[in-house]
Amino acid sequence: MATVNTTPGDLELGPRDKGRVGKPIELPILENFGLDSQIGPTFIGFWNLTAFITGGMFFFIWLVVMASQVGWNPIAFAKYFFVLQIDPPPAAFGLGWAPLELGGWWLISTFFLTVSIFAWLMHLYTRAVRLGLKPYLAYGFTGAIILYLVIYIIRPMWMGTWAEAPPHGLKALLDWTNNVSVRYGNFYYNPFHMLSIFFLLGSTVLLAMHAGTIWALEKYGAHEEWQEIQAPGTGTERAQLFWRWCMGFNANAYSIHLWAFWFAWLCGVTGAIGVFLSMPDFVNNWYQWGVEAGINYPDKLPPMLP
Amino acid sequence: MSKAKAKDPRFPDFSYTVEEGARATRVPGGRTIEELEPEYKIKGRTTFSALFKIDPFDFWVGPFYVGFWGLVSVLGIIFGSYFYIDATILRGPYSYPQNFFAGRIDPPPAEVGLALVGPGQPGFAWQMTVFFATLAFLGWLMRQVDISMKLRMGYHIAVAYGVVFSSWLTLQIIRPVLLGQWHEGFVLGIMPHLDWVSNFGYRYNNFFYNPFHAIGISGLFGSTWLLACHGSLILSAAQYRGPEGGDIENQFFRDTIIYSIGESGIHRLGFIFACGGVLSANLCILLSGWPVQDWVSFWNFWNTLPWWSGV
Repeated sequence: MATVNTTPGDLELGPRDKGRVGKPIELPILENFGLDSQIGPTFIGFWNLTAFITGGMFFFIWLVVMASQVGWNPIAFAKYFFVLQIDPPPAAFGLGWAPLELGGWWLISTFFLTVSIFAWLMHLYTRAVRLGLKPYLAYGFTGAIILYLVIYIIRPMWMGTWAEAPPHGLKALLDWTNNVSVRYGNFYYNPFHMLSIFFLLGSTVLLAMHAGTIWALEKYGAHEEWQEIQAPGTGTERAQLFWRWCMGFNANAYSIHLWAFWFAWLCGVTGAIGVFLSMPDFVNNWYQWGVEAGINYPDKLPPMLP
Repeated sequence: MSKAKAKDPRFPDFSYTVEEGARATRVPGGRTIEELEPEYKIKGRTTFSALFKIDPFDFWVGPFYVGFWGLVSVLGIIFGSYFYIDATILRGPYSYPQNFFAGRIDPPPAEVGLALVGPGQPGFAWQMTVFFATLAFLGWLMRQVDISMKLRMGYHIAVAYGVVFSSWLTLQIIRPVLLGQWHEGFVLGIMPHLDWVSNFGYRYNNFFYNPFHAIGISGLFGSTWLLACHGSLILSAAQYRGPEGGDIENQFFRDTIIYSIGESGIHRLGFIFACGGVLSANLCILLSGWPVQDWVSFWNFWNTLPWWSGV
């Protein structure tokens, strides 16, 4: 843990960003807030470009189709921006092709969105490997990708119709979320939804605890986590003692980030399992499931307790 | 490591300065808790001793620091747990393991208003549990202040805990008091409180249309996303064996998304995201049933804004 070796291979990096193309922009005011002042230079590679072009195609199709729905009137577009949507093909089309106005645009835009997400995954992966880092950020991104794939691709394909996927639109996405909960008998009774919410709220708690601890200890250099992991100093020692004295046990500068990674990753993955199981093939009614599992009893009215 | 860069003198400085000698305390491989703890276990510097000069509660039990507020917190935990476990599990209607999930403590009926109910009356267990839980949370919050003072840290952890404590206060105290009845508080119990949340959302038509709910949920998802980005970056950088790990972290994020917020910045941003999301969630509860009865028709104002009335 405490060993520091020299730079591997031909990789040459450092504070001066040797060998990099382009000059950084400096915004010194950011330093006044404890933020890094350097913007760029950035890496333009195949996967980055692919992700931006396909992601741009998705947003272009989304916005243009929505604009056409209000007759290209910009004021109407602004007024109805939240409620405009592109619907997936109706169930009658199954998994087949549909005319553009009947879900074809949805198929095309979802294709571009999916390509964009995977190109971004490759961008994160290849950049980390090239810089001599483990690609853990890309691994973490898989948690969100699994949830996306289950909702937009895997579950609709398993059910045999794209109509099960959410439309593209802000209100439409909220409505889809609400309706899938009501259709499958109340998601509050879905144990994987419970786990996902647990990890969602748990991640927020962990972030507040970790970020608060480090912010409170900046004057001891606790935020220089790479150094503190190799050689803990007074900042990390205080952080550890705070939580030991407060709740009886503590993580360390390395293991708190393991907690962080797994909590955040599992939020997406447990959510994906919960959505995937919500279909007639598996669980048609989570409320019924909860009653059968013996976690709630609607047939017996609970007595009024003093 | 952040190099000392030029700050902009025209603006107030909310940055930090690493104390002289703090970095020199770093020990390769670190020290064990047994080695380092005696150095930091110093008497005094507590809220109680600041008021009364002496502090008879200034001691540790095992790993736990006690202090005056630890005593308050433990009393709240013991009595609150007694009322909760007694009403949901021990005297619940089903078997013990079933009561663990399905047992419930209902708030007092609406007729009670804001009165205190006596033993044996409906709502007594609820009021007792909520009172002692609030006491336990307050003690825990102040204990975090005590420990922060002892370790000469900032009070950020206590502030963050205060934010989540404010959610409890909003749901169980502030909103019921504003609406004039304890009946508005949420039902205690694992499945019953989920039912309560679900019913609360549909009682105001549809909580997905509540903009503060949307901001709150975005804050939670944003926090989870930031946590994943930060956690994975530090885990990967911990295995990096180049000359300077902080630089490779910044380099990676500049390469992928143009900007790296920096080692101190990510913790500041994360703190603000997590606390901001919860504060917005407080607002979405607080505004329901009092100024706003229906979050769907709430949006009528949007369609009747003057600048697009004719569209």
